Amino acid sequence: MSIVAAVRRANQPGVPEDSVRLRVACLGAVLVAMAACASLQEIAWATALLAMVLVSAGTIFSHITRAGPPGWVKIMVAVGALAACVFFFRAVSSPTGGITSIIDPLTVLLVAILVVHSFHVPSRRDLLFSLGASAGLMAVAAALAIDLRFGLFVVAWLACCFWGLTEMWTSVSGGGRLSVTGLVLALGAASTAAAAIFLVLPAPVVSSRVDFVAHAGAGGSVGVPGGLAGDSGVPTQLSRAGSPTGRTRVGGYLGFAASLNTALRGTLGNALVMQVRAQRPSYWVGETFDTWQGDSWSESQPVPRRPLRESSPFVLPISPGDAPFGQSDLQTFYIASATANLVFHAQSANELWFPAGKLYVDQDGTIVSPLGLGSGSIYTVDSQVSTATPAQLRADDSPVGLPAAVQSEEEQLPHPYPRVLALARSITAHDTTTYGKVESLIRWIGAHTHYSENIPPLPSGADTVDEFLFGNRVGFCEQISTSLAVMLRSLGIPAREAVGYVPGSFDPITDLYQVHANDAHAWVQVWFSGYGWEDFDPTAAVPAAPPSPGVTALDDVGSALGRIPGVPVVLAAVAVGLVVFFVRRLRARPATWAGRVARSAERAGRRAGRPRRPAETLADYADRLDELGGRVDPAWSRLAASVQASAYGGLDPPREAQRALALEAKRARVPRRAPAGSADASERPLVRR
Amino acid sequence: MNRWARPARPWAPIAAGVLIIALWWLVAHNAGSGWVQVLGDLVFGALLIGIGGPFVVVSRARVGVRRAPADGSAGLPVAVDVESRSRVRVRPVDPPGPEVFVGPVGPSRAVDTTVTLVPLRRGVYGSVTFDIASAAPFALQWWTKRVQLALPAALHVSPRCGPAQRVPLRSEEGTGDLLDRPRSDEGLPRGARPYLPGDPRRLVHWPATAHAGHLMVQELEQPAADPVTITVELPAEAEAAERVAEGALGSVVRLLHDGRPVVLGTTEHSGPVLAAVADRRTAGRRLARAVAAAGAGSVPRPGAGP
Repeated sequence: MSIVAAVRRANQPGVPEDSVRLRVACLGAVLVAMAACASLQEIAWATALLAMVLVSAGTIFSHITRAGPPGWVKIMVAVGALAACVFFFRAVSSPTGGITSIIDPLTVLLVAILVVHSFHVPSRRDLLFSLGASAGLMAVAAALAIDLRFGLFVVAWLACCFWGLTEMWTSVSGGGRLSVTGLVLALGAASTAAAAIFLVLPAPVVSSRVDFVAHAGAGGSVGVPGGLAGDSGVPTQLSRAGSPTGRTRVGGYLGFAASLNTALRGTLGNALVMQVRAQRPSYWVGETFDTWQGDSWSESQPVPRRPLRESSPFVLPISPGDAPFGQSDLQTFYIASATANLVFHAQSANELWFPAGKLYVDQDGTIVSPLGLGSGSIYTVDSQVSTATPAQLRADDSPVGLPAAVQSEEEQLPHPYPRVLALARSITAHDTTTYGKVESLIRWIGAHTHYSENIPPLPSGADTVDEFLFGNRVGFCEQISTSLAVMLRSLGIPAREAVGYVPGSFDPITDLYQVHANDAHAWVQVWFSGYGWEDFDPTAAVPAAPPSPGVTALDDVGSALGRIPGVPVVLAAVAVGLVVFFVRRLRARPATWAGRVARSAERAGRRAGRPRRPAETLADYADRLDELGGRVDPAWSRLAASVQASAYGGLDPPREAQRALALEAKRARVPRRAPAGSADASERPLVRR
Repeated sequence: MNRWARPARPWAPIAAGVLIIALWWLVAHNAGSGWVQVLGDLVFGALLIGIGGPFVVVSRARVGVRRAPADGSAGLPVAVDVESRSRVRVRPVDPPGPEVFVGPVGPSRAVDTTVTLVPLRRGVYGSVTFDIASAAPFALQWWTKRVQLALPAALHVSPRCGPAQRVPLRSEEGTGDLLDRPRSDEGLPRGARPYLPGDPRRLVHWPATAHAGHLMVQELEQPAADPVTITVELPAEAEAAERVAEGALGSVVRLLHDGRPVVLGTTEHSGPVLAAVADRRTAGRRLARAVAAAGAGSVPRPGAGP
């Protein structure tokens, strides 16, 4: 077959599709995909709603004209698709757009094609195309989805797709429908296959620069140029040094400010601070401290007031100590709740996609945003991560190589630590290399100290390192890492304190690290002349302190209670209560009409002050009730006689009559009984008619 | 016969599926988004089941012929009832016929569907060959399996009724006065009896019919003349044998229509057969079973010639 013939054959109009259900399913898939894009702000909701209306109208038009679509529709579809493609390529190739912002034009392209195509969907093949295009739209939406709420759209879209595909088989086979078992088997098999592939395939990582999102989120300008802000939970509020009496930092962490007080580990909580898409887990550093003051860390040189003015992406200057070589690590940070305006990154940041026109960069690599980083802020960092192996670090015995000024800062100590020096020397007596000394010190700390956050704040003025190393040797990450840094400095090895976040739990669906407030961490960076600053985390080697059962249990109960959402629990309790109430009422309802008559009689008697006695037959009781009413209308006796005839005589009235008797009993009343005392109230009617 | 189901033109959907998944995977690993990969996995799962699922459906399909006529004629449709538990497309291959969907419409039990066969040649069919196909559950890929289904009873396909040949009658040979003489082979009318299917029209006795109120025919004495014997010798070549059989059937039918007893001589699988034929159906069956003299001992199959 020649190419022309093949093209002609492919262009032949298909058989008109008569199945309305198939069209509705395909329309549903398209609408869900558009809604998904709108929910992720890839297109405006107004645009999405307009597109949905047009697609719906186009689908109806296509169904009506399926047998003979007008010729102008095909021309309109072709022109519309061409225009959408031209728009897409112009947007992608424009200087302000570029390939790195492909998502938005791609969304517009797909939406436009779906809209114009919906007016010319006569056959099954065209409907299949609609399903495929909706899949593309869902993929575009999924590229920006960062939480599990997107799963609702996925489920809805899949439901429409599966419905459409099964309807396609119904249409093809002239009415063949899958049985429930077949449908369950098909869906189960598809889900199993998907799950198997999901498990087998490696997790996706950012491996190219096709699309990096940068979004300002709910923040604002920070008042002071280069100032740190947002550690109190308000994006633009300037940060202040934390103290044992002022636990107002992000999640309770005291470190994202001009100084780090090591006397207290705040109560960090479990709030989600950010989600991170990264090629590999890292220590995401926010800032480093080089000046140790005995109880707190600070920076010798504050963040410069002069910003780095560029447009995104920012090419960041090389800081002293940046890793000269390594591998690239792309990380995208999605801020979930207001946090400090520090730009977190792995090791040495090279390039930064950030929603601002300027940045403040410290010489130690600390990056400060001019904008408060509120919820919804997004930025991407390309870092250079050291790939030095332990063997390489162990072999690195070259001179320090830091500028003298920098070296003096990184070896600074507020006062001599003779005991610390003696201890460090004794531990590293047999080590000749920097790496060997670091490893020995970490090993010693791991063997002789314990980790605990439940310790009282250190007394004011107490030296953290002395207290930790020569006290009870129980502390938290800031105290453990500070002790290592001070021991290294006492040995003349440049070291500094770094604070930031460690990767939290990894979500396999979104492929994002969930970083919570209690993932805030402090560790040590040690200088290696051939490799720059290398991260060491002594806390990882420290075992937890023996728990105090009472305190732990109370903590657990308190935190568990604190996590319980109030309103849903109350609503659920109310709902359960209502269900129980109605179920009990239904169960208490007599099963037979005779039972309902007896219950009505007892209820009426109770209301009238004449409850039924345990040994009293229904006939007797009805007689008493009629007496109460003066026997004007012996309705109760008549009803009781019917019940007795049914129960003992087998004379069941017809169903209609049963209903009428039960209704009559329900409506019958007994006059209320007079106050006791004048006569036998149970025998004498109180109201005579 | 293919025991296993085969995909029909599979490379296009498989290639498209692999391409889609590869592109999707590429996008997922460029964007680093887990949701893209999750969606891609689900789409791949659906494609996998859509492409491979029909194999299971076709392999598990249970199709059988419930009812079939015992006689048919070459070139004329023969309706057989086919039962299937699942909805499958059936295309008769031997004998051929138009494709049709059989099986339940909706989630119900097995149902019978009529499948039309159009045998091209005479022969005796003990079974039929079908191509059964399905694209369930998602109509993305067709899979086909060839099955041979036994018929409840052998289907005798008679040859087409060809033009009658002139058969010389012994009593008329060389006499010169043949047409005006009463026909001696019919005997004399003995009485009238009610019409039975198969009675020649010319024997209808109209006065008796008018008297009785329903068709009556003359009942004749036993024919006095000898039956006409037609010996059919089929050539080995299939088409030529078909033509000969068609001509023989036409002649037999004509003679029967004229009221002459006919003795048909054929060669069957078991050997030469010489026996009287009373009606067209019997003659058709005999000719359906007939084989070339040289082919005696082989099974007469329509595709292979008589």
